[in-house]
Formats: sequence, structure tokens, C-alpha cells
Amino acid sequence: MTSFYEEVQELRARYPEGSRSAALPALRLAQEKHGWLSREAIEETADALEVTPAFCYSVATFYDMLHLEPVGRRTIDVCTNLPCALCGAQQVLEAFESELGIRAGETTPDGATTLRAVECLGGCGYATVVAIDDRYRHHVRPETVPEILGGLDG
Amino acid sequence: MAEQHKVLLAGADERDLTQLAEYQAIGGYKGVAKARAMTPDALIDELQKATLRGRGGAGFPMGRKASLIDRKSPKPKYLVVNADESEPGAFKDREVMARVPHRLLEGCLIAAHAIESTDVFIYIRGEYLTEYEILQAAVDEASAVGIFGDVTITVHRGAGAYICGEETALLESLEGKRGQPRPRPPFPPIQGLYAAPTQINNVCTIATVPVILEMGAEEFAKTGVPSSPGTAIFSISGNVARPGNYELDLGTPMRELIYEHAGGIPDGRELKAVIPGGSSVPALTPAQIDVPLDYDSLGAIGTFFGAASLIVVDDRCCMVQLALRSTKFYMHESCGKCTPCRVGTRWMVQILESIENGTATQADLELLDSVGDNILGKVLCALGEFAVYPVASYLDKWRDEFVAHVEQGGCPFGGSSSLEGILAPSDQHAHTPVGEEALV
Amino acid sequence: MSTELVRVTIDERDVHVPKGTGIVETALAAGVEIPVFCYEPRLGAPVGACRMCLVEVEGMPKLQTGCTLTAQDGMVVKTARTSEKAAAGQNGTLEFILVNHPLDCPVCDKGGECPLQDLTFRYGPGNTRMSFEKLTFEKPIPISPTISLDRERCILCYRCTRFSESVSEDGQLVAANRGALSVITTFEDLPYTGAFTGNVTELCPVGALLPTQYRFEGRPWEIVDVPTVCGLCPVGCNIHATVREGKVKRILSRNHPEIDEGWICDKGRFAYTHLRAEDRLTEPLQRVRRHGLEPVSWEQALEEAERLLRAARGRVVTVLSGSETVEQAYALGKLLRVGLDSHQATLPEEISGALDAYRLPLSAIRDADAVVVLGDVPVVERAPIVDLWIRAARRNGARILDSVDDIGEAERVVLVWSGPGGRGGASVAKLAEKLGLADREGCGAFYLPETPNGRGVADAWAACCDEESEAADSIGLLVVSGDEAAADENVRALAEQAEATIVLSMYGGLASGWADLILPGTSYLERDGSFVNLEGRLQRLRRTVEPPCPDELEWISQLAARFGVDVAPYAAGVFAEVSERVYGGLAFGEVGERAPLRGYPEAQERVSSRPLPEPQQKARRGEIRLVAYKPLFSGAAVERVTELQFQRPQPELELSADDARRRRIATGDLVTVGS
Ligand SMILES: Cc1cc2nc3c(=O)[nH]c(=O)nc-3n(C[C@H](O)[C@H](O)[C@H](O)COP(=O)(O)O)c2cc1C
Ligand code: SF4
Ligand code: FES
Repeated sequence: MTSFYEEVQELRARYPEGSRSAALPALRLAQEKHGWLSREAIEETADALEVTPAFCYSVATFYDMLHLEPVGRRTIDVCTNLPCALCGAQQVLEAFESELGIRAGETTPDGATTLRAVECLGGCGYATVVAIDDRYRHHVRPETVPEILGGLDG
Repeated sequence: MAEQHKVLLAGADERDLTQLAEYQAIGGYKGVAKARAMTPDALIDELQKATLRGRGGAGFPMGRKASLIDRKSPKPKYLVVNADESEPGAFKDREVMARVPHRLLEGCLIAAHAIESTDVFIYIRGEYLTEYEILQAAVDEASAVGIFGDVTITVHRGAGAYICGEETALLESLEGKRGQPRPRPPFPPIQGLYAAPTQINNVCTIATVPVILEMGAEEFAKTGVPSSPGTAIFSISGNVARPGNYELDLGTPMRELIYEHAGGIPDGRELKAVIPGGSSVPALTPAQIDVPLDYDSLGAIGTFFGAASLIVVDDRCCMVQLALRSTKFYMHESCGKCTPCRVGTRWMVQILESIENGTATQADLELLDSVGDNILGKVLCALGEFAVYPVASYLDKWRDEFVAHVEQGGCPFGGSSSLEGILAPSDQHAHTPVGEEALV
Repeated sequence: MSTELVRVTIDERDVHVPKGTGIVETALAAGVEIPVFCYEPRLGAPVGACRMCLVEVEGMPKLQTGCTLTAQDGMVVKTARTSEKAAAGQNGTLEFILVNHPLDCPVCDKGGECPLQDLTFRYGPGNTRMSFEKLTFEKPIPISPTISLDRERCILCYRCTRFSESVSEDGQLVAANRGALSVITTFEDLPYTGAFTGNVTELCPVGALLPTQYRFEGRPWEIVDVPTVCGLCPVGCNIHATVREGKVKRILSRNHPEIDEGWICDKGRFAYTHLRAEDRLTEPLQRVRRHGLEPVSWEQALEEAERLLRAARGRVVTVLSGSETVEQAYALGKLLRVGLDSHQATLPEEISGALDAYRLPLSAIRDADAVVVLGDVPVVERAPIVDLWIRAARRNGARILDSVDDIGEAERVVLVWSGPGGRGGASVAKLAEKLGLADREGCGAFYLPETPNGRGVADAWAACCDEESEAADSIGLLVVSGDEAAADENVRALAEQAEATIVLSMYGGLASGWADLILPGTSYLERDGSFVNLEGRLQRLRRTVEPPCPDELEWISQLAARFGVDVAPYAAGVFAEVSERVYGGLAFGEVGERAPLRGYPEAQERVSSRPLPEPQQKARRGEIRLVAYKPLFSGAAVERVTELQFQRPQPELELSADDARRRRIATGDLVTVGS
């Protein structure tokens, strides 16, 4: 199997010589590998991209989908922006909070699930939108939350 | 009930147009051959005749933009498709990519030929994972059979930052950096991606290009309204019976979209406000919705066409809470580069919170206005203004509600507002690796 | 920028400037100041971040940032002075900047010399409308032992990060997070290291990045900035020494556009506390039988020196450091050569005049099409600022080569030789000759010597006497001048052979074991005189503070008198004599605050120099050639500055990525080296 270093070189090959365009794909790759962007993950990425760790860190902290602290094996993102909010997103978020026994922004003690309120996911017509490991669920209502969680494997 | 006019989405209800064969079965990719038979100059003329206005927000004619590309430059030319769709209320680009990806790719090939480019990048917001997979599959399928010729189309995923929808921030992000806007001039057609001439267009803009070649610019220009030909996919959300995407001719009355297509306000509620272009534009009162949905008509009544995305608000909503939640979004998404946006959005949030929790005075309403004024027209990109436009309009058109907060020392809705207690991402333990302070 | 002149109107005043000139500069040409924070042309393209420079431009609906605009013909610009709109915009910006800025100016080291303070005073609002919580951060935090960061004071102009990214190109100081939470930081807990980090403390327009050594050390009204030249490497950066109560408190750059462009290295900036090292000598030490070295009066020390010199007439050998001023070398040389007929002296390195035909200002490197860097020692370790010029050249599109074979069609070619084997510049001069670079536009060659003033010392020694006599077979007296010489083992070996040894040194420790007489020396910051840098540029050193001991020239002239030799006790007098012979009669006062690059045809070098370390043997197949060099952060001064210890390299080995991969060596591995 190809090493992280080699995979990053393949990413770099898609973009013009000398550009840093592979930074985001490479950081995403590192996150998939390590679960989050730990110090080691960032150093490994910087090494493969031939940039400084500080550069990678600076870029990573700019983007919401890149985690600079540990997150659960599963992430549940509930949109609470206006369109969803107008249709009861707060009740949906609270349903998840009580089902999981954590507050938004927290991770379950067993490290299984991280629950977050997030900005508009681009599904406003199908409120409330919830992204579970980046897969969208539409028309989520408080009463459907238990069955959604029940339906998740593991 | 009123009919949609499906042009971008044509055929998608009958067939699975994510499949190359299906798309070709309805004449897909014929436009490419047509375009490549023309000289770039002729093609650009054709596009200019169509006066297709950008669907990303600014409404700048797509053909004219192409004519500005410095094609004499020795550097490569780039076409970049803006698929970062992150404006609250907007979900039209997503549907195009999910249901008619090949129409978007066909548009890319045609536009690329016009500006003599062989390198196309589609910057898709990171959250759109499924859409990315569909689009990438379409790219693989089409390029495998040689439809692209010498053109390469690279789908590049963002990683969660609204500002990367702003074209120069998008370019920075595509170059692997923090997505912070660049000062202009130089403008992208002269110095864009990798400092080379670059054309940037929204997904729907590019996906409309094949339609123009199919109909011919003259016929296309006759559709919609003269100042804004063609159709647009309107995203409508919030308190309506049938929210969703509706493709309609530009110029369709807003009332028709809200009450006929979207089924009006449910549960016998009253319409209170419409934010017509995504959450970043000035809102309209019920008295203002007899307006044709096109750039100039909306501009004439002091708002914007924006992202063709209507957020409908019924009478349960507290306008201060609406302003607060909206501003928290723009504060959260401010890139931090220019002072007025970075500082001003946070200050606005603080003022709005004091109004909502009843600790504000009359003077704070004036302050809110004036902080907004100090942002408008002083910022590096429009994000800061996007925070101000809506709030200024709420404060102007629903001022009595703001005043009531001040006078009653709290929210007149007394907890019954539809936005009561809504939690914004900036309220939850934000990841701040250096300095553990919460935003406000 | 084109040479075509365009007419621009600034606040009703017409000026003509080259098309493309920045509007900030154009306004200055019209006598109008546009306030700026983030704008700093030396950092590359403007970013338009702070929005302080807002102006109104005819025909543009919105206010524009002056810093990002360039002069176009017929442009009509109104600044805050004449435009209500611009003034309002500017006040708005200033208010925003102050919203989160703490009011701790009274205890801020920047206070009194702070652009934000000044602009607030001139344009700012009287009172604040911000009644809510300001952003708070832990403050101040060290980003290195030499630099502290106060994030509450930071106005996020991104000057520091732009320096790190596009001037020093170290990529260590960056912005993290987004929006209101944006902060300046290094990666994790790593200190900001590198040759140039201190420059960010001068770039920062507020008191966010400050030198720790200067913390609470001075207030602007108590200090004077004395203009002089750095004496720690052959570049000779122009500097200001900030002096308070007779003590150097800080070193600042003093932009010489041809030499340093306003950048200085951390050695030059932070090493000044060596002046106050505990082991600094203030009185002479004399070896007394059985007791070892004992402090003695200057009178007694000079008696002893005279005795030792008389005993060794004709057999005195001198070891110079190359850090003496031209005047010191000349005075000493005149005493020993004219007074004692002892002409033999050595310098730590060979000096050659062959390069004089290929002289250029360092700034010419930036404009080159091809820069060929030869020799084994990393440029930054020998002459740090040259490294910045080479990086600037690369950013300008120049090709940076390591062999003259690849020059190809390049018009402007600059050769740089860094390291041993360069025969004092003779080798690179030969190359330049082969390539026919002599008087070709923008072409030239540099040799990066080891010593800061080797050339000046060589010139002076050669000029001070016309006689010559071949070396005596025994060393009657060894005179060791300067700490670099005193620290050199080979010199110690010479001392073994000598009947007696006199050492001129700032620090006792260096020669205590083997000197018979140690005379306290001064630092370049305490001297009046002149240096010749690696461009061959004669520059003026100024005494910024009084040394804790008599100046060398004073006692050399006294000693010289005892041998009937006439040496002036002050620099100007000595220089006049040297100048007659070497510098075309140039007067001391005319050397100049920002010295121009002059040619000195009379300059000659007859200094016999110690044999150089034998040339590196070529590596055989599969072997790697081992190259050792003196790192930038080393030497007597650096060793005595606690804040700089973190910059001193651990024993480390650098390998090319390929060599490393081939040998499966990763960063951080322990390796055993044999040669
Ligand atoms: C803060 C901000 C966010 C933006 N977001 C988007 C976006 O998500 N999608 C988009 O197409 N245009 C967006 N734009 C507009 C782009 O800057 C640009 O005008 C547009 O992509 C040009 O394409 P068009 O001419 O086809 O409309 C945004 C602009 C700003 C200032
Ligand atoms: S630390 Fe200073 S230089 Fe750096 S961004 Fe902040 S204010 Fe600007
Ligand atoms: S000086 Fe122009 S924006 Fe900062």
C-alpha cells in the first residue's frame, strides 16, 4: 500500500509545479488517517508538502472542517442557521443533546460521537438538515432523532 | 398551479442525468462541438449577446467577463467554477451538481474554449461530500471517453469557510492558503489563479452556458426579462408550505413564487419578512413582495438578487433575534484580514445581544447604525457589508420592535419567538488553540 | 515601474511621478501624508488589510485604500485632509482598531515611539463608544527568548507574518484562526528561530512584538539613538544604538538601501549585552611569577609592554583578528613596524584585492538575472544579509545557481563565494574575469570573508610602513590582537613558541592560561573609526558608549611615543594618515553616515596570511564530503548573551534529502560521523 508521503506526492502532481494547492487535500488526508490534526499529523503533512508545520497549522486553523483537537469517531453536525432555525433546528439540536447526554460542541465520554451546531449546510429547503459524518439527513424533526441515532451502526 | 420553466434542470425529472449516456441521449455535449467550431472571439461575442448575468451574486455579465480575460498573456488561462455555495438560504448549485453534473461540465468546456483555457478547477464546498462524489464520477466518466479533449477539469474540495465563496478568497484557498480576499486591482481576468488570467463563475452561470449554445444567444436573450435573460433556480426556505428549488424565468413575480409555487405561509401564519437573496441582503416587508424576481427590479427597491435564495419569515420571529443570529454567522465567517469586518461584526453582535437581553439604551440603536456605516464601503471584500445590509434593513423597517426591546427591557416576544434560544456555532466552545477565549 | 511620468492630483496639488508609483508615495511627493499601518513596501505586494489609508478617488464610488492604488495619469485623489468621506472612513477604522486595544500605553515599551499612539493622537476619537468586553489574551507571551508577543495589543496588520513568509522566508511566524479570534503565533510551543527574527520587533507598528532585552529599559525621552555600523560580520549593516545613561539598551536597523535595506540579523541586534559580560576586562593583567595573572595599573602595564617590546625588537610577531578598526590596525602596525622593525603579521584569512574590479553594491544582487553561489559555507552563516538579497533575487525571478556552467543567456550575473578555498576573493575574481563580467551592467562578484574588517586591517597594516624585512627565525614577542585571535588554538600554539606574549582582549578567560600581559580591549560599539565591508565599502564606526577601559588608540600612541613613533591618540588623526596612503585622501568627516561605495585604487595588500586550512579533499564514490563551518550564532560575543543561547546550533548534521533517504536517515535521528 502507498505511504502517506506518496499519496501526498500524487495530490501535489495534480497542481502546477511549486504551488501549495495540495495543502487542503493533504490536510484532509492526514485528518482521515489520524482522526484529527494532532501535532504529529501536522508535522507529517508539512514534511510531505515541503512547507513548515507553522504554515500547515495556520491554514488548518482557518477551516471549520479541519479539527485541531480530538473529535469523536462520529460527528453529528446540526445546522442552526436562519432557514433551519426558523423551522425548529434548536429543538432538533436539543433532542440530540438529551439523547447523547452531551452539550453541542462536546464529545461523548466514550469518544464515540461529537455533536456540533454548524452554520448553513446548504439544505435550507429541507430543514432541519443534519450531517452525520458529512452525509446529509433532511427534514430531521425532534421526534425522529431517536430512530436516527438507533439506525446508526456501532 | 403555476409551471416551472426547467432549462438548467431540463430532463432531470425524467432521466438520471448523472449518467453520461442519459445526458447524451438528450443532446448533451453537442454544445461543445458547436463551440469548438467557433473561434474564441466569435464564441465570446455570442456569450456577450446572451447577456447572461452571473448567478453568484454580483450579476456581472458572464460574456463580458470572458472578454476581459488577458488572452494574450504568455501564462496559462484558468477557468474556475465557484461551487462553494455557502450563503444561508442557497442550495441551488448543490441541486445542479447532484442532478445535472454533465451540464455543468459541458458549460466548463465551452467557457474554457472561449477564454482559450485547458485548465478548469471546480471549487466545491467541503460539506458537499455526496455532490463531490457525483461530480467527480461524472468527470471521470466523461474524460474517460475523451469528451474533454485537451482540457483537464479538477474538482477541488474546500474545508469549511464561507469566505471562500468570495472569488479572490477562493483563489487563495485554491492555492493552498488561508482563504483571505485579495485587494483589487489586479482583477482575476488579469491576475487570478497562480497570478494568471482567470475567469470565475458560479455553478448556475456555467451550467446555463450550454443552454445558450443550444438556443442561440438571440433566442436566449428573449427569455426572462431583457435586462436579465434566462431562468434562475430559486431556492426558497423558511416559513413556507413547500420550500425547495424552483426554476423560473427571471422576472417572475416574487408573490407567485412564495404563494403559488411554495404554497404560501403555513399554519395560518402571517408573512412578516422576506430576505430575497440569501441572508446577506436587505429584507422586504409584505408590502414589497409584488416585485419581479430579477436583478434590476430588486435593485430598484433597495435590495439584491444575490444568490436567488429567498428566506421567508413569518410573524412568530423576533427581528432582533433574526439580526443577532444572522450577524453571529458573519462574525464567525469573517476571515480576520481587514479591520472593519473583523472588529465591526463582533461589535455588532455585542450590541444586538444587549438589545435582545434588554440592557441596551436608545443610544445603542444609533450606535448599531453607525457601526454599520463604518463597515459599509470601507471593507476589503463584501462580507462585512453582508453582515450590515440585512441588520440595517431590520433596524430601519422594524424599528419599533427594536425600540420595544429597549423600552420593555427585554424581548417583547417573551420567549415565544421562533428563533428563541437558537444556538450559533460561535456560542459553543469554539476551537481556539491559542488563547481559549470564547468569541463574545 | 515605467519611467513614463503621469500627473496625479492629491488634495488639489499636482505632482508628476512615474506611472505605477504607489499612491502613498505619490502623496508624499505632494507633501501629503497618508497614514498607514499594514503598508510596508519592503514586505512585497500591499495587502490592504488595516484600512487606515482610505482615500477618495474621483470616479470611484467607494473609498479606496491608498496603499493598494498606483498612480495613473489624471488620477484625482482626496485624502482625509480635504475629503469628509475619507476622514470619516479613517476615523471609523481607527475606532475599530482601538476597540480591542488595551489602554496600557504608560507601561508599554512602544509608548512614545508608537505609530498607533501617534495616529490616535492626531486623528483619533476623544472617547470610546465601546462599552462591551474587549477581547482578552494571556499577555505577554514569549515567542522566543528574545521576543515577546502581546496579542491584546496586536492590530493584525500582518507585517510580522509577511516578513516571515516573504522576506526571511522562514515560514515560522503565522496567523492562526479566523475572524475576531485571529492571532499571531508560532507552531505549538516552538520558539521563533532564525537569523532575522528580531526584525519583526521593528516592523510591528504597535507594542505587540517587543524585544525582551529592552523590556522596561528605556522611555523615548530618556534615550538617544547613535548612528553607527555593526561590527559582527563583514556585511557592516547600518545600525542605531539606543543609549540610555551610558549603556547600550537596544540595537535598531538604520536602513542603508544598498547594504541592508533596513534588515539586521539577530546577532547584530541582540548580542550587544556582551558589553556587560561578567568576565569583561577593565584593567590590565600581568603575569607575576608563581601568582599567575594579577591586575596592575595602566602605568605598570605600559612599562611592562615597553620592556617586552624592547627585548624583542625585530622579532615581534603580530596576530590580528580582522575585527580591529582600520585606525587600530594602522596604529599598532606603525608602532611595531616603524618603531620595532617587526613587519610580520598574520590574519585569520587570506585577503585579496583582485575583486576590486568587480565591485557592486549588495543591492545589485536583487536585480540580477542569475546569482551563482559558490563555496561550502551557507551564506547566512557568514554574511546573513546577503542571504536575504539572494532570496529577494529569487523572488524577482533570478535563477540561483551553484555552478557558472548554467548561467546561459543571463544578462546580469552576480557571483558569490562563501567559504574557504576562495583565496580571499582571488578565485571568484578569476571566474568573473573568465566570464568577462568586468564593467558589464549589473554584473559583479562578492567574496564573503570570515572577518568583519579583514580588508581594512590588511590595507592599514600594509600602508603603515614602506620597509620590509624577512621574518626572524624565532618569535621574541607574540602580540595577539582581539578576541577572535585569542580564541584560536593555532595562535595558542604560536604562543608556546614565543618567548613572551601580549594579548589585547575584552575577556579575561580567553588568554589567562598563556598570556604574560593582557590589555583590556574595546567593542565595535565603543570605538570611533572605520571598517571596510565585503563590498569594499569604507564605513564609519561611532563610539556609542564609553568603554570601561582606555581606548586602544590612546595607549598605543603613548607606547609608540616611547619608541619615537608618532601616532595620533584619536581616530580622525590616524585616519588622515591612512587615507593619504590608501583612501585617496578622503577626510574622516567625509566617510559618510550612509557611506557610498567608492573605489580606492591605491588600496594594496601585502599581508602575509596564515596558511589556510587545507582544501577539502573530493569525496569518493558513495562517500559524503564533510564540511565544517563557524555558525552565525557563535563567537566570543554571542557566547556571552544568555538570550541568544537557544539560537546556537546543537551539534547537527545537514544532508541533502536524497542522501538522507538513501541512508534511511530521518530528521532528528542520531548519527555517527567519521572523517
Ligand atoms: C462573502 C462572499 C461570499 C460569496 N459566496 C459566493 C458563493 O458561495 N458562490 C458564488 O458563486 N459566488 C459567491 N460570491 C460572489 C463571488 O465573489 C463572485 O462574484 C461570483 O462567484 C462570480 O460568479 P458569477 O459572475 O457567475 O456570479 C460571494 C461573494 C462574497 C463577497
Ligand atoms: S504582532 Fe504587530 S506586526 Fe504582527 S500583526 Fe500584530 S500588530 Fe501587526
Ligand atoms: S495601509 Fe492601506 S490598508 Fe493598511
